[in-house]
Amino acid sequence: MAPDELSNTEQLRRELELARASLAEARKMASLGQLLTAVVHEINTPIGSLVSNNEVARRSLEALKRVLAGSPEAAGIVDTMAGLAAIDKIACERLVAVVHSVRGFSSAARGDRGSAQVNDLIDNALKLAAWIYGKRITVEKDYGGPPAIECYPQPLGQAFLNLLVNAGQAIDGQGTVTVRTRAEGGYIHIAISDTGPGIRPEDRPKIFTSGFSTKPLAGRLGASGAGAGGPSGEGTGLGLAITRDIIVELHGGAIDFESQPGAGATFHVRIPTEQGRKHGD
Amino acid sequence: METNAQPVVAVIDDEEMVVTSIRTYLQLETDYRICGFTDPEEAVKHLETHPVDVVITDIMMPKLNGVQLLACAKRFQPEATRILLTGHADKQNAIQAINEVGVYQYLEKPWENAQLLLVINSAIERTQLFRQLRGKIAELDAAHGNIKDIQARLIRAFL
Repeated sequence: MAPDELSNTEQLRRELELARASLAEARKMASLGQLLTAVVHEINTPIGSLVSNNEVARRSLEALKRVLAGSPEAAGIVDTMAGLAAIDKIACERLVAVVHSVRGFSSAARGDRGSAQVNDLIDNALKLAAWIYGKRITVEKDYGGPPAIECYPQPLGQAFLNLLVNAGQAIDGQGTVTVRTRAEGGYIHIAISDTGPGIRPEDRPKIFTSGFSTKPLAGRLGASGAGAGGPSGEGTGLGLAITRDIIVELHGGAIDFESQPGAGATFHVRIPTEQGRKHGD
Repeated sequence: METNAQPVVAVIDDEEMVVTSIRTYLQLETDYRICGFTDPEEAVKHLETHPVDVVITDIMMPKLNGVQLLACAKRFQPEATRILLTGHADKQNAIQAINEVGVYQYLEKPWENAQLLLVINSAIERTQLFRQLRGKIAELDAAHGNIKDIQARLIRAFL
């Protein structure tokens, strides 16, 4: 076999491997989406009851306190119960927020096109990313109040989640992820920065390539670390490829990045406010 | 079927906790009468003979799903307002329910009590307006019949 033919065969073999990996990832995500939908459905009912009962309990305790006004000891017990019910209310609100966040990401389908606030989509993605960030990552938000845009909210939220998770995972130890949104002409500009080590120059040309990751199996997936993973492709190098697909192909937007060694990385996303318009028009 | 002076709300969910929670909240907040059911077939039997103002039901239930139950409710009491309360955010179910049984509102679990109450209040008002309208139409029909009768007698008197 001639060297050129050998090279072509090798190239085809690699593409086939990537296609297989993409298919396996898509199947995994579809199963995960179905599982999440089922879990959310199961917990919605008890959470609904908890929230409702908590409101009734707090109001009943207020009424009981008025009835027991003459007995300081009884009033003290009611105060303790009211304090616990108030904590339960906060706990319930957090559960409801988690359910709403997960519901937005649980569908594997792209869903319907509609109007959405980019800041809201990012906030929802941040609630989920916070599970990964823990106390290690500080989030700084600089929202410029961009207008609502016409988009596919579910996949766009997934793209933001991928970028936010990547940014957080790029940081070793403590660090900061900064999110900035601005309206620029007919576009919304979203910049997501991390304080990680930055993307190595040799990795930059391949960063949106499907299957590329600095640590192919389960390594660091951060933007600065030139990984391409996150919830849609952890360890397979598909996260940023999928993100690019959602931004560029689905929304006619643009995504690029800037990075200085040792000074973190910033991913810039530009989405047209009206669909049908392509970036650069 | 006679109407109720005190508004009646039927709550159907195969989860006892949902029925109890909504019943307790509405009893605290309103003077409505609440009929709760965990068995949708029992609920249908009740709806066949007892007038209600609002029917709130879950979708995914054994024996009879929420859309089927609301179809029965619509057959027995067309003016009663129908509401779906579901943990399954399924657009297909919602479209089916709206098209087939004319659902007034589609609420998702976990519900907010204040929102639920707002929807129930509007639903009761809607039902009562429908009933008033039906009463007025019956009065108009009766008046129209009287006028036709008088007209016929006048014609006979002058001929």
